[in-house]
Amino acid sequence: MRLYEFEGKKLFADFKIPVPEGKIATSPAKAEAIAKELNKPLVLKSQVLTGGRGKAGGIKAVENPADAKKIAEDLFKLKIKGYSVEKILIEPKLDIRQEIYLGVTIDRVNYKLVVIASAEGGVDIEETAEKSPEKVTRRSFDIDAALYTFNAIDISKSIGLPSESVKSAASIIINLFKLFKAYDAKLAEINPLVITNDGELIAADSRISLDDDAVFRHPDLAAMGIEKRHEEGEMTSREQQAKEWGIPYLDLDGNIGMFPGGAGFGIMGNDFIHYYGGKPANFMDSGGGPTPERLTKMLVLLDDNPNVKAIFGARFGGISRCDDFAKGVIMFLKDHGLSKPMVCRMTGNMWQEGVRMFAEAKKENPELFKRFEFHGIETPIEEISRRAVELASEAEGGK
Amino acid sequence: MAILVDKNSKIMVQGITGGAGKFHTKRMLEYGTKIVGGTSPGKGGQEVEGKPVFDTVAECVKGTGADTSVIFLPAQFVKEAAIEAIRAGIKFVVVVPEHIPIHDMLLVRKEAMQYGCTVLGGNTAGIITPGEANLGIMPDIAFKAGRVGTVSRSGSITYYIANTLTDSGYGETTCVGLGGDPILGSTFDEILWMFEQDDKTKAVVMTGEIGGVYEERACDTISKMKTPVIAMVGGIYAPPGKRMGHAGAIVEGKMGTAKEKLDALEAAGAHPAKTFLDIPKILQKMDV
Repeated sequence: MRLYEFEGKKLFADFKIPVPEGKIATSPAKAEAIAKELNKPLVLKSQVLTGGRGKAGGIKAVENPADAKKIAEDLFKLKIKGYSVEKILIEPKLDIRQEIYLGVTIDRVNYKLVVIASAEGGVDIEETAEKSPEKVTRRSFDIDAALYTFNAIDISKSIGLPSESVKSAASIIINLFKLFKAYDAKLAEINPLVITNDGELIAADSRISLDDDAVFRHPDLAAMGIEKRHEEGEMTSREQQAKEWGIPYLDLDGNIGMFPGGAGFGIMGNDFIHYYGGKPANFMDSGGGPTPERLTKMLVLLDDNPNVKAIFGARFGGISRCDDFAKGVIMFLKDHGLSKPMVCRMTGNMWQEGVRMFAEAKKENPELFKRFEFHGIETPIEEISRRAVELASEAEGGK
Repeated sequence: MAILVDKNSKIMVQGITGGAGKFHTKRMLEYGTKIVGGTSPGKGGQEVEGKPVFDTVAECVKGTGADTSVIFLPAQFVKEAAIEAIRAGIKFVVVVPEHIPIHDMLLVRKEAMQYGCTVLGGNTAGIITPGEANLGIMPDIAFKAGRVGTVSRSGSITYYIANTLTDSGYGETTCVGLGGDPILGSTFDEILWMFEQDDKTKAVVMTGEIGGVYEERACDTISKMKTPVIAMVGGIYAPPGKRMGHAGAIVEGKMGTAKEKLDALEAAGAHPAKTFLDIPKILQKMDV
């Protein structure tokens, strides 16, 4: 989960990393009051969980505090990559002599923590790393290793910091590394770490992402008002609904509703649809052993989606059995009803029983099954994919 | 022959008295897997499915000669359980639970390297050597002893591929699930190299996925292998994944799209397959 800049700076302050004395405004009036109180040249920074806000006009310098209200009004109206601005961080403007980059992250391939530093901080750091790798220092550490003062001084010297800044920089590096470990972070970045004209080092920005799977170890975050949230990205209403139901779901721009088994085939099944000339309307993961209620909800998401013209279903019965799967689908047909054509295949654990249950339910109530084609192991999944594409294009043609 | 597990493996279950532990111990035994015992602190002396329960892994190793462990415990207990097993001399640990904290897995991996232990997972469906041993939660229905090895991240993909290999008469030597968590105990290259050393394995099917970092690392190994490798990568048409800040890009480089991964694997000498039905066709051409 990604933290807002101001939340990251709270953690920085807790770890003795210097940050500007900032305040949060939730309205233009509040911004005006804060500006009056600080009464010096300021920066107003939109708080959004995405990058590139500077380029999108989300950061504004205010020389005269009296202008703060008007500028805040404009910022609150902004949409930055689809995110609305609900909070503005107001800070004194810094006199910048130099901008440094400092980051800690995980090298998943080599199973190490990596500290990265460069004397050329700012938004172009990735380009610098690619074109002039000698300007970027990287040092790897084992997860249980300490980062000693001499390591931190070595890092500071390696990027050519002037002697008078080396000690302050080293202490910031050590503290950022401590914060990273203490909060189970995936990423902790200070970009830029500013050296002011007075020679002070101060974290002008923060970017922190924590491991969702370790948030349980940090109840103090909730106490600080930092609630569990998604990494990034604004959800569609269907994605929001799916999230409430606990179903991993993403909207895509095609017309075939995807109703697959686990995440692995959830991803690959979408490729199969493309191979046969179709386009999926979504990605979805049923999770292991979905209950009939959960299967029903998954189908409701697809059937209620006006973009969906046909539904593709696949179940490889593992621990989750195909008879349970059939039970869920039949429950959906009875309770909600199927308004789109759907083709579905079952194989694996108890697939014959699943097919038998479908056949029996169909005999009882053929009307419910008029848009539903079901198959067992005899039909390869490739053929089901092809058929789903065919059904969707027939439905589009029939409009 | 097979890799990592066979009929001689002496397997223990950590968390054997829990709901999932009990349920899967029974299933694994029914398959003929040689489960010798398990652990559950405070429940030493009890039995599950006729197998002895110990308080610690060290006691279980001493009492049963266990050399392999399957973990069925909530994610927050996995770090200590895995390290306990590794330090007690267990050589192969299968981590079934998902959502293991990343920092925990870094430590587990470091310990495993230090003690010469192989760890699979987290979030793996497990590993199966058909006819000999089934560790984890995979249903045995798709598998049959044969001559092709498989390695993939996801359980559902493993079933589909094994099913295809079984139906087309090739069968499998060992099927390995690396797991779906963002950081894994073992990587594609390590498992591929084990297959390369295995006489029975005449070809390997590896299935990568968008978003991982381990596929590219397999290229070097594939180029050194004599055993042919068939490669699939899921997510060719998936929307591009999210990157993690500047640091992520600097450390991991540009995150490969599924198509780039597949191209890289092909350039290293792997045979690309688009759908499952391509696999037997490619095997036939290679005369496996």
